[in-house]
Amino acid sequence: MEALLEDYISPEDLKNFESNYTESRRNGTLTSQTQFEYAWSLIRSKYRADINRGINLLEELCSSQLGEEKRDYLFYLAIANTKICDYSRALDCVDKFLLAEPNNRQACDLKKIIKDRIKRDGLKGAAIAGGAALVVGGLVGLGMALARK
Amino acid sequence: MADGDKDFLTVLKILIVGESDVGKSSLLLRFTDDTFHNEVPATIGIDFKSAYLDVDGVNVKLAIWDTAGSERFRSLTPSFYRGAHGAILVYDVTKRETFMKLESWFNELEVYSTRENMIKMVVGNKIDKENREVSREEGLKWARKHSTLFIEASARTKEGVKTAFEELVEKILQTPGLWEEVRRKRNINLEEEEPASTGWCGGYCA
Ligand SMILES: Nc1nc2c(ncn2[C@@H]2O[C@H](COP(=O)(O)OP(=O)(O)OP(=O)(O)O)[C@@H](O)[C@H]2O)c(=O)[nH]1
Ligand SMILES: [Mg+2]
Repeated sequence: MEALLEDYISPEDLKNFESNYTESRRNGTLTSQTQFEYAWSLIRSKYRADINRGINLLEELCSSQLGEEKRDYLFYLAIANTKICDYSRALDCVDKFLLAEPNNRQACDLKKIIKDRIKRDGLKGAAIAGGAALVVGGLVGLGMALARK
Repeated sequence: MADGDKDFLTVLKILIVGESDVGKSSLLLRFTDDTFHNEVPATIGIDFKSAYLDVDGVNVKLAIWDTAGSERFRSLTPSFYRGAHGAILVYDVTKRETFMKLESWFNELEVYSTRENMIKMVVGNKIDKENREVSREEGLKWARKHSTLFIEASARTKEGVKTAFEELVEKILQTPGLWEEVRRKRNINLEEEEPASTGWCGGYCA
C-alpha cells in the first residue's frame, strides 16, 4: 500500500489522459468515467498542483454521484490527500468509505498508513523541537533512532 | 517485515492481471499472508504488496502489483505495467470466458510492457471447485503456444500458489539482462558490508 503513495505516472501517460479529458469536454461528451481516469492520473503526478487539480475533479464527481463509483472516488481522495500530507482530510475520506464497507482491506491498510504518518510527524516534530541530532538515513533510520530514545 | 531486516539480491516487479473475480487478489494474499476469504471485495484500481522470496538460497524482494479486472479501471491499469519483470495472467477454470480473455491480457502486456523479455506465467485458478469448464490440457496448450509458464492452482487450498511465484521468479533470474542486481547499503549503524554475490551471479549471467 505504501508503494501506491510513491508511484508516479509517466508524463506521456498523463498527457494522454489529459487530452482525452479536454477533448471530450470540448465536444460536450465528457463522462464521469473520463473525468475519473484523468483525475486518477493527476493524483499520480509528481507535482502538487496536479494532485490538487485531481482532488478537485474527484470532489466534483463525488458530489454528483451515488453508489459504487462514489466509493472509488472516496478511496482515491483519501490517497491524494495522504500524498499532499493533508492527513485530516485523508482520514475523513477513508472513514466515510469504511462506514459503507467496514472490512475493505485496501481501505483498512490505507487508514493504518495515515494514522502511522500522523504519529510519525508528531514524533518528528518533537525530535526537532528537542534539538536532537539525528543522522537520517531515510525514514527507516529515523524511525529506528526515535524508537531507541 | 520491515525493509531493513533483510538483504536481497534484487527487487523484481511482478504484475497480476486477468478478468475480475478470477481470484488475483486471493492468490496474492495466499502467497503473502497465507490467508483466504470467501468474500473479497473487488480491487479498487490497483493494489500493492511486497514480499521476500528465497529461490535456490538467494533472497529476492518482490514488488507485486495486483490490478483490478473491473471494466471501470481498465484504461488506467496499463500505465502500471512499466518496468515489470514478470506477469501472472490468471483465469478461472470454472469460467471459460475468463480463459478466452487471456489473449487480450497477453496482448496488452506485449503492448505496454517496457521490458521486451518479460516473463509470463499463466495460472488456472479455483481448481478446488467442481464445475470445471477448462481442462488442464487446454490451459497447457495455450501456454505452450504463447511460450509462457503454466500452472493450475487454488488460492483456497493453497495448491500451486507458492510454486507459481517461485517458478516465475526463477525464470526471471535465469533470463540474462532482464534484471539488475541491487547492492544495498546496510544500516549506517552496522558495519559497512555488502554481500559478496559475484560467485552466485556468475552462475546465472554466464
Ligand atoms: N473456490 C475458490 N474460490 C476462490 C479461489 N480464489 C478466489 N476465490 C473466490 O473468488 C472471488 C473473487 O476473488 P478475488 O481474489 O477478489 O478476485 P480478483 O481477480 O482479485 O477480482 P478483481 O479485484 O475484481 O479483479 C472471491 O469470492 C474469492 O473468495 C479459489 O481458488 N477457489
Ligand atoms: Mg482483486
